Amino acid sequence: MAIRARRYEDAKQQAGTNLELAWWVFMRISGLLLVFLALGHLYIQNILINAGEIDYDYVAKRLSQTTWKVYDWLLLALALLHGTNGMRYVIDDLVRNPAVRFWVKTVFYTVVAILFFLGSLVLFNYDFQIS
Amino acid sequence: MYRGREGQWAFFLHRISGVAILAFLLLHVLDISLAMWGPEVFNRLLAFYHQTIFRIGLLLVIAGVLYHALNGLRIILMDFTSWGVRVQRQLWYGVWVLFVVMYLPALFKILPEIFGGK
Repeated sequence: MAIRARRYEDAKQQAGTNLELAWWVFMRISGLLLVFLALGHLYIQNILINAGEIDYDYVAKRLSQTTWKVYDWLLLALALLHGTNGMRYVIDDLVRNPAVRFWVKTVFYTVVAILFFLGSLVLFNYDFQIS
Repeated sequence: MYRGREGQWAFFLHRISGVAILAFLLLHVLDISLAMWGPEVFNRLLAFYHQTIFRIGLLLVIAGVLYHALNGLRIILMDFTSWGVRVQRQLWYGVWVLFVVMYLPALFKILPEIFGGK
């Protein structure tokens, strides 16, 4: 069950397990990092350039540079973990039937895992052959 | 837990924006991955996304991320300071002030790109 505490001390008391408390802490830490990673990403792709003019060459060139591979993968991993755990809280609140909840989560986690694999592939396992 | 209406709106909007951002993120990972299929396929996809309706959608995504980020900072202050919960209402108004200050420049940059007819 999701922790409904405000304040770390309350969260500690409400957490059924150490794992649940760890997720509560993770949401705060990853959230703080994502403020910079995600807003930085939006600033670069929407403010510094015209997002409506992005083409294959722009993406290929960007994804060929180690700096952006690392930046994007960090953003990908943290955002997916943060978003998936957040969605887990939402599912726990909305889907009351345990059997249905189990299958909703199973399908959802599977989709996320596939997309995480795909995103990691495009970042680290594909040669865009920029001359 | 949540005192007053502002706190409940803050929570509700945080959830809605969070789910919306996740939906966009999953789609976004999929579409960028299609770059592996080469320039022809990928450029056709990008041209599709450059239509006005999707660019307006992107403006909404940016608004969602900005709110979620700023209200997330408010939550962190409420969780880890002794005074955060006491001034949560004022912090929420602060979130909206910062939201306007940061979102308006984005609108001024992006809206002319969409409707400027360039």
